[in-house]
Amino acid sequence: MTRDVGAALVALALVAAGAAPIVAPHAPDSHFSQLLNAPPTIVRLVDAGGRWHAPFIYPWRLVNQLEQRYEEDRSTIAPLAWFSGGKLLRSSNDEAPLLLLGADNYGRDVFTRLIFGARTSLALAIASAFGAMFIGVSLGAAAGFSGGAVDEVLMRATDFVMVLPAIYVALALRSVLPLVLTPGQVFALLAAIFAIVGAPFVARGVRAIVRSERRLDYAAAAEALGASDARLLVRHLIPAARGFIAVQITLLVPAFIIAEATLSYVGLGFPDAVASWGTMLHDASTNIRVFADFPWLLSPAAAMFLVVLGVNLALQDAGTVVFAESGEPRRGVKSGS
Amino acid sequence: MCRQLFLAAVAAICTIAGAACGSNTTSNATTAGASRSGIPRGGELLVSVRSEPRSFNRHAARDTTTSLVSNLTQSRLVRVNQATQAVEPLLAESWTTEDQGRQLTLSLRRDVVFSDGHPFTADDVLFAFESVYDEKTGSVLADSLQEGGKKLQVSATDPHTVVVTFPAAFAPGIRLLDSLPILPRHKLEGALKAGTFRKAWSLDTPPSEIVGLGPFLLIEYQPGQRLVFTRNPKYFAKAPDGGALPYLDRVVAEIIPDQSAELLRLESGQLDMMTSEISPEAYAPLKRAADEGRVKLLDLGVSRNADAFWFNLKPGAFGEDPRAGWLQRDELRRAISMAVDRKLFADTVFFGAGVPVYGPETPANKIWYWPGLPQTPHDAAAAKQLLASIGLSDRNGDGMLEDAQNRPARFTLLTQKGRPNLERGAAVIRDELKKIGLTVDVAALDAGAVIDQLLHAKYEALYFNADKSDLDPGTNPDFWFSFGSAHMWNLEEKAPVTDWEKKIDELMARQIATLDEAERKTIYNDVQKIFYEHQPIVYFVAPRIYVAHSSRVVNLTPSEYRPQLFWRPETVAVVH
Amino acid sequence: MIRYFARRLAFALVLVIGVSSATLMLTRLAPGDFITESLGTGASQQTIAQQRARYGLDKSIGAQYRDWIAGAARLDLGYSMQYGRPVRDLIPERAANTAILAITALLFATLIGLPLGVITGSRRGGAMAGAIRAASLVLLSMPPLLTSLFLVFLAARTGWLPISGMRSATVPAGGALIDLLRHLVVPAAAIALPLAAMLERLQAQAMSEVIRAPFVLATLARGVPQSRVLWRGALKAALRPVAGVYGLVIGSLLSGSFAVEVITAWPGLGSLMLQALRTRDIYLVAGCAGAGALFLACGTLVSDVALAAVDPRVSDLRTERA
Repeated sequence: MTRDVGAALVALALVAAGAAPIVAPHAPDSHFSQLLNAPPTIVRLVDAGGRWHAPFIYPWRLVNQLEQRYEEDRSTIAPLAWFSGGKLLRSSNDEAPLLLLGADNYGRDVFTRLIFGARTSLALAIASAFGAMFIGVSLGAAAGFSGGAVDEVLMRATDFVMVLPAIYVALALRSVLPLVLTPGQVFALLAAIFAIVGAPFVARGVRAIVRSERRLDYAAAAEALGASDARLLVRHLIPAARGFIAVQITLLVPAFIIAEATLSYVGLGFPDAVASWGTMLHDASTNIRVFADFPWLLSPAAAMFLVVLGVNLALQDAGTVVFAESGEPRRGVKSGS
Repeated sequence: MCRQLFLAAVAAICTIAGAACGSNTTSNATTAGASRSGIPRGGELLVSVRSEPRSFNRHAARDTTTSLVSNLTQSRLVRVNQATQAVEPLLAESWTTEDQGRQLTLSLRRDVVFSDGHPFTADDVLFAFESVYDEKTGSVLADSLQEGGKKLQVSATDPHTVVVTFPAAFAPGIRLLDSLPILPRHKLEGALKAGTFRKAWSLDTPPSEIVGLGPFLLIEYQPGQRLVFTRNPKYFAKAPDGGALPYLDRVVAEIIPDQSAELLRLESGQLDMMTSEISPEAYAPLKRAADEGRVKLLDLGVSRNADAFWFNLKPGAFGEDPRAGWLQRDELRRAISMAVDRKLFADTVFFGAGVPVYGPETPANKIWYWPGLPQTPHDAAAAKQLLASIGLSDRNGDGMLEDAQNRPARFTLLTQKGRPNLERGAAVIRDELKKIGLTVDVAALDAGAVIDQLLHAKYEALYFNADKSDLDPGTNPDFWFSFGSAHMWNLEEKAPVTDWEKKIDELMARQIATLDEAERKTIYNDVQKIFYEHQPIVYFVAPRIYVAHSSRVVNLTPSEYRPQLFWRPETVAVVH
Repeated sequence: MIRYFARRLAFALVLVIGVSSATLMLTRLAPGDFITESLGTGASQQTIAQQRARYGLDKSIGAQYRDWIAGAARLDLGYSMQYGRPVRDLIPERAANTAILAITALLFATLIGLPLGVITGSRRGGAMAGAIRAASLVLLSMPPLLTSLFLVFLAARTGWLPISGMRSATVPAGGALIDLLRHLVVPAAAIALPLAAMLERLQAQAMSEVIRAPFVLATLARGVPQSRVLWRGALKAALRPVAGVYGLVIGSLLSGSFAVEVITAWPGLGSLMLQALRTRDIYLVAGCAGAGALFLACGTLVSDVALAAVDPRVSDLRTERA
């Protein structure tokens, strides 16, 4: 049951991300300069006079600009329109935008950015996890299969990567790269960093499995029957690690979502026009009023939490645990078994 | 069992937390009591700084914490009153000007001693000048104590009279001396002779070695935590009622790198004041705290500095880059000034608390601001026309501009990372310029990296702070003159590159050599006019400055300039 | 075994040198340096060149590295430009502060996480187990930056606890120890909460496996009371995997927690490293990174040895070639 809930949460996030242009009421970079840090617009059915309507919102009116205080403008009713202008749900009045999760400090709709951010963040995490798997399995299998000096060199190299402070690597990379990177380049760069940093965790497990499997009878039999090394590895040994690999991928995904937020600190994240959960959280954490006055800015944390929770619930019987630790991806994932 | 363990843990936390309620920090005042004027004496003031000092030697660094330490522990000959802009006597009790402003004779206070009891004489003043001009030291103050690249000549006619000779007639004259701390010759001469002066009084120096003429003494430095100062019982200045200064017994500067933590401490009474203005975001929570009587919130008016936007105007900086043809054109900068809606800029970056600025002086500079300066209208259509005149127009109908060869009109705007005002301002500029078809890529780097790009002229455009230290334009020659090291758009030109820079050089040379204030003002208006026509730097909005302090703090003389509430530390007092 | 040890230690040394060298080179290559950082705008080219020469920053990167590594061989890690002190003296000072924080946090985490893990691991169905499991998942999924910001906010709002720093400027009534403990609560909790959640999950996992093991069933069958079996027998067996991660956890805690130390102004290794990075104090950056790598390498070694000691199968995997 809980596993189904978990799977449903993850599926919901993926669907919302996939259908972002339809689900989100606005464009991710459109902003409302009179609605900086405006609270969520409450969807209502009953107006101030007690009359029933189709779902509508009251627009926000700025009461104090310096204090960023707003109040509902009860004199105007902005009805919501379903499936209008190619959007699932939007306000029919352009002057009174629908802000389901409020606005950020540039006046951008948080809900819209959350949905578009899911695209960036989830795609990045999944791509990185597959990259990490590819590198990790190759290295782990090579080390476990060859043994000897190859094994030694590869395993010490993975140790090195696990210990290298990722934040310095990121800083140094930032300094040698061009000043301006397109979002596509940032995506590729982050995916590459995460893949390299995540690979050792996969490699170590795969190596151990390949080593122990190799000593089993069936492997010896296959070898005696004249199977080539490559065939033995690809057809017999790596498949033995399949379960482990599957679990590792699902573990790495949430860790990478969290890591993306950290890297925006050292300037390696996405430019601010691109919505991602990491950049959104970064903006929220620099807003000193976030806990007291603008809690809606934390919605990417909530979204992240729900996705990680979903993964955890879906996996809870697989005997694993995912955790976000001090922000560095290399320490982000451990297997509990 | 586990429940017991858990409860035990909770109980432990509560005990520790509970201790807080019972034991509020008690100030152990030593000279408690009130002066005749009603200003309380004694007590401790808790201020915050955002970063560690770089040195205890003002000659070695110019960061705000180092300046604060210097302001507390050292004294100067004169001080510019940041509230009135008048020059006040400090170590020099009076002065006379001769030879058309070229010569300044200062008579020093008698019976002044350093904190270790050693008497202060003209010899220490000579030493201060020796150290600032010492080649090996490379003092960070050296550039600001020169006139037209030439040093001032200093001599002592007797132990209490110093004669300062300027290379040429110099209108700002004595104001310059505000930046020079007077250091003890008897403590530092050895280091200066040995060529190690810059390393003297570094952060590992025991605080007892730091001797000064300032109102406070450094008694403890806990790296990463705080600086503790105690009152200098030998401080020379007296209160108006004849009583001793400073009023405070102790000043503690807590090092709090995170601005949220700093604000929360101020709000919750764990801090008396910050040493800088509050950020626009902090206004609302502090207003709330002020309404509840927990803090006092002050509006100090418009800042005298606006953040600056400029292009790299060094000839040849873009080499073979085809954009070189338009990136350095006056028309581009004038178009940008027209394209950015300053009202929107103020609304977004400063939540409305800012005023539009069109030139190098903001209305806060009551003396030198020229209301007659034309105000650039917000006019996107005119901006587009200007751009078309330098060959930038929409040639392929995509809404964005291209040059004659159909290459997109695009440039990179560099700014400092981690400064919300700069990052937000850069974003507004980017969005506003997009409306007239210019594509701007914003890149935010650390301050050091930004300055590195500036020094090597390896940038296209920069949005950064170019703060001027003093209101008098004559004290900012490094900004105005084409050879100046703060001539931002093209540092340290060998000879003026453009005619208008040459003209500004000539005007400024006349401006500082003229002693008649009205004439100086007329000349400076002309300079501002030329500046406006060519816009080497585009200014958009100057923010209003707000500061907050706990209600314990009294007898403040606020100024919109940093440290707004603490530029005259000896007169600040607390009720305790 | 001794050979294995020696080998691992040698590797740890190579690792520390590698990491600190890499960070030194990389931070040196980044645009800007200590001089541009500290002089700001407006300094003349001449002043800048003079100052660079003063600090040896005008040397080529190769020469600079050569001098540094030659010094490091004599355990001289260079001078911090900002603090004007040898890096070798600065790091232990800050590492001690970090250790105080790390050990307190680990203690908190262990005291909370392990018992809760036993509960959730042995009682899979109950409402309490479910609640604890959910709470762990919440804590595990939160970015540490926000957790610490939130705790600081909470402490400020309630006014119960100091929210930044390590000690008060004047020792308050109650003594220095109480003062330190009060300052410890917020940062230690920020580190301990996710850590406790991790330990809870690990312990629950191990517990649920052990509880199904034949020896536990056999003991129960002999009539030993269930609670005693749980707390004595099963717990002992289930502690092993948790013990295995301790080394790693201690290692990573000792290398300093960036976010928590900066937000709570704790004067530890993490905030020192950040300060060094900001001011481009390259030798200090290299020293901090090296210290972090050393702690982590030792942590890995400790946890490998601990695992090998408690679990012969692991020892076989890890040490067979040593």
